[in-house]
Amino acid sequence: MPQIVTIQLNGEPFTLPRCSSVSDLLTTIASEGKTVATVLNDQIVRPENRSAARLEEGDRVEILIFAGGG
Amino acid sequence: MDSLHLGSYTFSSRLILGTGKFSSSSVMLEAIKASGTGLVTVALRRFNREQPEDDLFTPLSAIPGITLMPNTSGASTAAEAVQAARISRELSGSPFIKVEIHPNPQHLMPDPIETYEASKILAKEGFLVMPYIPADPVLAKRLEEAGCASVMPLGSAIGSGQGLATAEMLRIIIRESNIPVIVDAGLRSPSEAALAMEMGCGAVLVNSAVAVAGDPPAMAEAFAEAVAAGRKAFRAGIMQKSGMAVATSPLTAFLGPAS
Amino acid sequence: MNALLPEWLNPGPDEASFREMLAPDSRWTLELLAAQSRAITLRRFGRTMTLYAPLYLSNHCSSGCAYCGFASDRTTPRRRLEQEEIRKELAAMKRLGISDVLLLTGERTKAADFDYLRTSVATAAADMQRVTVEAFPMSVAEYRELAEAGCTGITIYQETYDRARYAELHRWGPKKDFLERLDTPSRALEGGIKTAGLGVLLGLADPQEDALMLYRHLRHLGKTYWRAGLSLSFPRIRPQTGSYQPPFTISDHLLARMIFAFRIALPDVELVLSTRESPAFRDGMAGLGITRMSIASRTTVGGYSDTESGDRGQFDIFDDRSAEAFCKALREKNIEPVFKNWEHAYNGPSSAEKS
Repeated sequence: MPQIVTIQLNGEPFTLPRCSSVSDLLTTIASEGKTVATVLNDQIVRPENRSAARLEEGDRVEILIFAGGG
Repeated sequence: MDSLHLGSYTFSSRLILGTGKFSSSSVMLEAIKASGTGLVTVALRRFNREQPEDDLFTPLSAIPGITLMPNTSGASTAAEAVQAARISRELSGSPFIKVEIHPNPQHLMPDPIETYEASKILAKEGFLVMPYIPADPVLAKRLEEAGCASVMPLGSAIGSGQGLATAEMLRIIIRESNIPVIVDAGLRSPSEAALAMEMGCGAVLVNSAVAVAGDPPAMAEAFAEAVAAGRKAFRAGIMQKSGMAVATSPLTAFLGPAS
Repeated sequence: MNALLPEWLNPGPDEASFREMLAPDSRWTLELLAAQSRAITLRRFGRTMTLYAPLYLSNHCSSGCAYCGFASDRTTPRRRLEQEEIRKELAAMKRLGISDVLLLTGERTKAADFDYLRTSVATAAADMQRVTVEAFPMSVAEYRELAEAGCTGITIYQETYDRARYAELHRWGPKKDFLERLDTPSRALEGGIKTAGLGVLLGLADPQEDALMLYRHLRHLGKTYWRAGLSLSFPRIRPQTGSYQPPFTISDHLLARMIFAFRIALPDVELVLSTRESPAFRDGMAGLGITRMSIASRTTVGGYSDTESGDRGQFDIFDDRSAEAFCKALREKNIEPVFKNWEHAYNGPSSAEKS
């Protein structure tokens, strides 16, 4: 059994160790500490639920911020 | 005090700023401070590891008295806009949502049908819904009935700088509306913002005109002054034009001399 | 007393120019107003005049309006038309070319109650293209029933918005309740009636003040019931059966000024002038702002089939020209008289969706 899983992160393939959580993902991509919204397979994952949310092969994750726009 | 009321929120400034198209975040933040605005719209975007400084939440939250109004730009259907609104609320903690649905990336004209559907759903979920719409008086009333906090008809196409091309429709919308009418899109110069306020708009939303100015903070201040002046004039009661051509044969001769 | 008035009767920021136009000494001369008003009328309504005629169903009344020939203390003989008589009157009206009828009664009485009115509306709707009603205030449910019977519009005059004057003039009866009456057009539109007609009886109180209040009332209705059609009438008191002497005299000039000011301020509202006014005034105002007029009117109960009756009506007709003569006068002014501006098929209640 491979020790990594591949997910779709913001539409791009991304690999990370098996049993990683959404929190782990945020640490990996250095977005921790920033105010982001996380969406796992179209479901919003609130900050308090991020460590419990395990990522599986093929999961779709969106990490979103506020940017400039009218 | 003549304030703008939206839901339970009160704003002393009637200028709303957009945050797109600025040369840098720092210029944008300076412009926002200079404008005295209390309501700023931001877009939901994917986090980009290469450009982590894109995040506007932290710097905007640091400015005192700013409420965020996330928008749903990028959505091309009601379902996408509803999802974007829910995510935005998680992120902003603000009940405001600018519903902005434009299926055509060329002209960015709002889709009235999708906008209406999304607004109806979001109003029921307790959002303060601010739909960006074509200047259509019937649509505006339907959105008011759907529970929107305001309507935001376009003055002209987004970023076009063509001013109040829809003035006649805007006048009807303002005349008939029980909720604030906020002109969004198309304003090029402060005089156009003043004119919109003189017509009776509740507020104006400006983005490009400030963002692409030579000196955005100065332009933001100019817009703030124009908006305040236009509002004051509206409240004071503006003199009506006269001096229409008088018919060669009097129209009221049948009345005889005044007694 | 004023504390109870609804908020929408307070001055608003958009009425400054209307107020200015109403003032006889304003920089708006009558001729300037007329030119502007004519241009708007032409643009919005074209060269047309919609025509209707009143049909008095009953002169029974329970109220004591000091100015009215049908008030309950008058000695006027009382009667109501039975359905067969209504059909006869309608037939006589149709022979005159009329297909748009305004049914009138007094305030609610046992002799002419809601059931009687609803039945009469149904009778008229079977014969006429358009049926509107000027009767007593009703509930939302009653208006809904009336709309289902074929009534598409109601007229309800506040008479005056001056509450002190209103209290003096409405000596007894259900009409004493100022606020109840004020709320009546809203109830009608809520109930699915498609158009509401407002007015004050000019002469009862300060006309400029009343005009401002009418403006606010129309604005409020327009914003709240935005699907509804609105109209405004300009009844001016002339000597009547009750010999009431009004405290204010409304000159032709002031009345014309009011009509022009309303046309300019509210371009979409139908402005109505009845046969109370002189042929010269009516002909002069056609095309300048008025878009709907009554014709060939009888203001007595049964007046269309019994033209010999010596009874006096609710008010005296000044313009007693025949429909033909009046239409000829309109055509000479290049205005088309419109007898049918409505189609039977549209006669159901409005379906205001509440989302």
